[in-house]
Amino acid sequence: MSHEKLIYIHPAPVRVWHWLNAAGIVLLVVTGFQIRYAEILNLMPLKDSVSLHNFTGFGVIAAYFLWLFYYLSTGKIIIYFPDPSTFVAKAVKQVKFYGYGIFRGEPNPHVMTPENKFNVLQQKAYLGIMFVLLPAQMISGVFLWKVKGYSDYIHLLGGIRIIDTIHVLFFFFFTSFLVVHCYLATLGHTPLAHFKAMITGYEEHH
Amino acid sequence: MKNLIPTIGIGLAVALACLAAAPMAGAASIENSECFACHSDEGLTRSATEGMNHSRMSEQLFIDETQFNHSVHHNNGIGCVDCHIDITKLDYKQDLPHKKQLDLVNCTMCHEESSNAFKDSVHMKIRGKGITMNCNACHEYHYATRQEALSVTDRTNNGCTKCHNPYQSHDWLPQKNEHFSFVECVVCHVPEAPRHIRLSFFDLMTNKFYSSQEILKILGISESEFRLLLDTDKDDIINVKEFENLELILRQKNVHAIFHAELVAKMHPSVHKINRGQAERDCKTCHSANSPYFDAVTLVLAKDDGSSDHFQVDRAVLESFSLRHFYALGGTRIKLLDKIGFLLLAGGFSVVLGHLAVRIATIPLRRKNAYEAEQSSMQEEVSR
Repeated sequence: MSHEKLIYIHPAPVRVWHWLNAAGIVLLVVTGFQIRYAEILNLMPLKDSVSLHNFTGFGVIAAYFLWLFYYLSTGKIIIYFPDPSTFVAKAVKQVKFYGYGIFRGEPNPHVMTPENKFNVLQQKAYLGIMFVLLPAQMISGVFLWKVKGYSDYIHLLGGIRIIDTIHVLFFFFFTSFLVVHCYLATLGHTPLAHFKAMITGYEEHH
Repeated sequence: MKNLIPTIGIGLAVALACLAAAPMAGAASIENSECFACHSDEGLTRSATEGMNHSRMSEQLFIDETQFNHSVHHNNGIGCVDCHIDITKLDYKQDLPHKKQLDLVNCTMCHEESSNAFKDSVHMKIRGKGITMNCNACHEYHYATRQEALSVTDRTNNGCTKCHNPYQSHDWLPQKNEHFSFVECVVCHVPEAPRHIRLSFFDLMTNKFYSSQEILKILGISESEFRLLLDTDKDDIINVKEFENLELILRQKNVHAIFHAELVAKMHPSVHKINRGQAERDCKTCHSANSPYFDAVTLVLAKDDGSSDHFQVDRAVLESFSLRHFYALGGTRIKLLDKIGFLLLAGGFSVVLGHLAVRIATIPLRRKNAYEAEQSSMQEEVSR
């Protein structure tokens, strides 16, 4: 491995956000399961899991604003927006790669650069997650944290049952996504390559 | 015939109770109006009587007759001297027509079960510390009203929060405000007291509860017709479908009513048996599927006198989208969401495991392709 093959893809603020967010999401998933299935799970007392869930939730919200501030202030937010004119063709290529080419050892059709680190499928997925699902999860979480305090907004949105349903469905989605995300991260040139890159900031170019 | 025997029994019991009560009521043929001749005077205080009266209860001797007439005691035909039994006659020749110092009213005469429960409570035990707390502290003898139609807020304001500030304690309790708003104190503090989820009509536009009369007027039906409208299958339980029907009818009438749900104690003597260290502190008792706290659900039509009509509701309503404005974490969760969640998780794991399996199975293929590519690149180099 030579240094010429290393590309600085993940700047420090992104890495800090990523790992804060990752730790937060894992804690939220664990405490979330404990809260919803208190009669089955005994990982920790329910009141502690609620407190930890709330505390972690605000940590993830803070990390989100770190992410948002960094990407907006640097203008790099654009990397989350796929080019509509080439999206379909690139998406088909990427799907073919994940579903077929990768098993044959073919190279990834998307070449990662600091300006364009996501493939189109990642762009589309992260766009939805970062701009719709995560904000919805954060807002619904804050409402559930202070049901009485936000009762006017909750009533306006159809009631606590609706807010909870959104929060729970997205909770399951994020849990499922976490599993898939961790697996996809093993699809680098070695299973740990992308994990290392998210620590050092450098992706190895092959 | 089977039903006749208990009916006769109840009839006899009522008759005997009336006979037993008769001597008490007849002990003094003193009308309330005679008492109010003096006690409706707002200026009537102990100090104003210049020591003539030795009341130990309060400085104020004025009784608001209007408010008294709305009290549960008055509504049940209990007159002043039925409680103040030591007043057997009024001597109008005297400035003060009765004793200077009346005996304390003994609520136990009628409320024996409640009294027994109270005697075994922390509120009785504090007498050992020199603090005397009697029924009046919570119930206000002269203005006691029926509590069953009251919301959690009104119940706690009329009782516990007169002395206790719940926010100064309960530091262990997450979401204090939510608990204090939706759960009556005694539900946790007297775990053995019967309780129910009380559903009532609430207007989001005016932020007020609908009274029985208002709802019946909107629906254009009488009190007896309400049950028929609600319980279409006549099984005495309002199921999810019937609940949804009611919602639909309200929507058709353009009523902005929601069903406000609270966890409250039923009116039962045992609610007086509050003791230190006996409160429910295990969150799981409430916040888990099939919690007994949600077994009893009642739709309440509140009446002006504080009483209410109760309609039993199927617990499934709490665990459905029919009730959109109440959710007790975990306890009333919708099971369908669990199934959807399981499918989402199963989908995620299936994709990962499936892809991983193919990845592992195709390792030889990739090695072969890599070897062939290497060979071909070496041949190219050699040919150059």
